[in-house]
Amino acid sequence: MDELELLKKDWQKDNKDYPKLSYNDIYKMILKKSSSIVKWIFIISILEFVLWSAISFALKDADFNKKFQEYNAENIMIPFMILGYIVIAYFLYKFFMNYRTISVTDNAKVLMENILKTRRTVKQYVAVNLGFMIVSAFVVLSIQFNRDEEIISIIEKSSANGELFKFYAISIITTLLVLAVLIGVLLLFYYLIYGILLKRLNKNYKELKKLEV
Amino acid sequence: MNKELEHNFVELLEKHQNIVHKVCRLYTNNYDAHNDLFQEITIQLWKAYPKFRGDAKFSTWMYRVGLNTAITLYRKSKRSINTQDFNDVQFKISAEEYDDTEEQQLKLLYNAVRQLNDIEKALVFLYLENKNYKEISETLGISEVNARVKMNRVKTKLKTILNP
Repeated sequence: MDELELLKKDWQKDNKDYPKLSYNDIYKMILKKSSSIVKWIFIISILEFVLWSAISFALKDADFNKKFQEYNAENIMIPFMILGYIVIAYFLYKFFMNYRTISVTDNAKVLMENILKTRRTVKQYVAVNLGFMIVSAFVVLSIQFNRDEEIISIIEKSSANGELFKFYAISIITTLLVLAVLIGVLLLFYYLIYGILLKRLNKNYKELKKLEV
Repeated sequence: MNKELEHNFVELLEKHQNIVHKVCRLYTNNYDAHNDLFQEITIQLWKAYPKFRGDAKFSTWMYRVGLNTAITLYRKSKRSINTQDFNDVQFKISAEEYDDTEEQQLKLLYNAVRQLNDIEKALVFLYLENKNYKEISETLGISEVNARVKMNRVKTKLKTILNP
């Protein structure tokens, strides 16, 4: 006999020893808050948007930014800022649109895809921000090379000593190292948070995708 | 209106609660986790209830939300780690008190099903609930042919677990 048929017969018996919850037990449950991964993804995503916007605002007020006004570099900084606002508006809009499509009554595969899509939007936002950070770092560096009087005098000195190349190399390598460490820490953070949160979803999504091959 | 909705929902769920218990039994190993998942499924059902249309059967609709919660939305709670395992309890009882071979075989079968992965469990669950392949494929979002193929593979896998 097919084992599953035996199991089916037993499974469909209604006298199984399941707990019997009362009307009040169930009523109490619907007043409680969900702890689903969608809720967590929503909270963490919003935090990410807030964090990255806060970073750009903080930079705007930072001392070194004021120094930029001395360099007369607003013509570079203002387009950057406007671009920043457009980027966050675009990603926030996309995020909310994706978030709204998540519905527990979709089929399993569509539900997983919609969750992953929402997640991907935030990932793209962070990637754009990182790109932005890298580009800004080099823009700042090149502006300083050209307009910061202290640095210009160092450059002149190094050039007189024949160490100009060394100076440029050290500045660029230091910037790259700082960026690499920063990105490394961020990636580790992401890997941990989302690795834990999405482990099950990713595994099951892969399993469903495998069925299609 | 809202009170009425609440009342209708709780009454329906009270009546059909075994479906949710079955999902929980399949996807959790112990009492605390069972309750935790039951609660999360209840919350998800309640959140989705205003959009529930009477043209679908409440129980059919529950299968989908229940499985989606178990497979995708549910996060295992930490407090379930130190509690006693269902499997152990059941297995001990079966070994000590039952001599019946069919009963014994059933225990082994339940244990085998627990060793399947989440998607395989979902297929078995729907199969045990007497759903046809069309419904299975619609619930999981795969084609009917693939649902059949996978189900056959799951049957083979269960046989291998039972007769290593």
